[in-house]
Amino acid sequence: MSDEPLVEHLFRHQFGKMVSVLTRIFGLSNLEMIEDAVQDTFVNALTKWRIQAPDDPEAWLMQAAKNRMVDLFRKTKAENKHTEQLYYSPGAHHLNELLLDHEIEDAQLRMIFVACHPALKPEEQIAFALRSIAGFNIKEIAVGLLLPEETVKKRLQRARKKVVDQGIEFAVPSGAELLPRFNRVMDVIYIIFNEGFQSTHQAQIIKKDLCGEALRLCQLLLKRDEMRSSKLYALFALLCFHSSRLDTKISPEGELIDLEHQDRTQWFWPLIKLGNEAMNKAMERDELSTYYFEAAIAGEHIKARTFAETDWDQIAHWYACLLEWHDHDIYRLNLAYVHIQQGNFANAERLLLQIPPKNLADRQYLLFGTWAELHKAKGDHQKANASLKEAIEAVTNDVERRYLRGKLRG
Amino acid sequence: MKEFMMIFVGTSYEELGLSPEQMQARMGKWFAWSNKMESQGIAHRGEALHDAVKRISGPDRVVGDGPFVESKELVGGYYIVKAETVEDVVEIAQDFPDYDLGSSVEIREIMVFDQ
Repeated sequence: MSDEPLVEHLFRHQFGKMVSVLTRIFGLSNLEMIEDAVQDTFVNALTKWRIQAPDDPEAWLMQAAKNRMVDLFRKTKAENKHTEQLYYSPGAHHLNELLLDHEIEDAQLRMIFVACHPALKPEEQIAFALRSIAGFNIKEIAVGLLLPEETVKKRLQRARKKVVDQGIEFAVPSGAELLPRFNRVMDVIYIIFNEGFQSTHQAQIIKKDLCGEALRLCQLLLKRDEMRSSKLYALFALLCFHSSRLDTKISPEGELIDLEHQDRTQWFWPLIKLGNEAMNKAMERDELSTYYFEAAIAGEHIKARTFAETDWDQIAHWYACLLEWHDHDIYRLNLAYVHIQQGNFANAERLLLQIPPKNLADRQYLLFGTWAELHKAKGDHQKANASLKEAIEAVTNDVERRYLRGKLRG
Repeated sequence: MKEFMMIFVGTSYEELGLSPEQMQARMGKWFAWSNKMESQGIAHRGEALHDAVKRISGPDRVVGDGPFVESKELVGGYYIVKAETVEDVVEIAQDFPDYDLGSSVEIREIMVFDQ
């Protein structure tokens, strides 16, 4: 048997690939049957391999996928009732062709665009994408998105029903439909990433996986010439810059570490390099986006060797651009924080006063926390503590709460 | 050296609804166990069994389709290992990966007839 450990996430990624390829053949109306069939393949692999591991697990899975396809052809032919027109004739030649790398990528790309179809609500799009492209099961999606399993199940059911009922085509849209859908695809990738990056819940592994999947989907899009827009490059750069810091954000004890106290020597340089390259590509074209400015800001933080060396003026400039491009209270809040770092307290206060707490919903505590920073910077520790207490009152997760409490003591 | 059969009894993976990622993690544990035995020079071989069961019974040779036992008591596969004593095999079985799923290992010595 092979001594090599399995490629990381091999099963999960293989699941996504196989589901996409099979969907290309059997159509979206058979999606549930396909997912069950692929799941079976994995159960078989697990049962068999635990006693006798194959020399080449990846090839084994691929062969199993092929066998499964042939089975399904027989099955759908025999039943012949739910079968729609198959897109391909089941010749062995065709099967092999569909399993070439670029054909698998093509099938996955189609699946991403289906997931982002406007008939699906945003929350359904995300659940569908995580299931059918990224190979998460209901439980993993529930943990990743901090939702009850029942909710995830319903969202997936609704999404699948819409895909079938509305006869959504398993294709990348063309013409006028393409751009809005492409934008939505990028948004969904961004949201999946943030679910992983911003959340502070305990399931560290799932959290990292969400970020990893978002990066992978982005890379899948970047493989296609026609998809390589400045906006996509900027999104990729942003995800790379953020991901490079992922391991330094939470201490081994599960405590939150802010940007000032992260061990910058542990930031992951290969990702930063990838991010820089993508950012250069993004800058080649004169096309701006929120991703572009967010990536510029993240890149500026990455550039600083220590927190003290941060170029706050440059960051303030990017936030001002960002606010002008897309007015949002979270950006305003961040700019206020930057002004505090610059010692520009009057501007910071002016901005904070412009933000109605309720606009921030469950992120209100960030506003109170920033007020606390401002008071502290001005030397008013009493007011700082009062604001911190407000923040602690408003915060919804334990990790952030402990972080804020730690500041209260300090 | 004697030969022992380690029989793996437990819930079939099919019923557990594991995600691809969880299945891979479990696979890794089985690989690790097998590698550990190999590195310790413990000869082992085995087979995995499908869930489906046919049972023939009675003087009329009645053929039935399973399942005949609770799914958590299904025999899923076996290893045959060489060891000096059954205690050694109990030691080896400490690393069986599926105890957390409610599965168990049964050890039986393989009979050798002296002529």
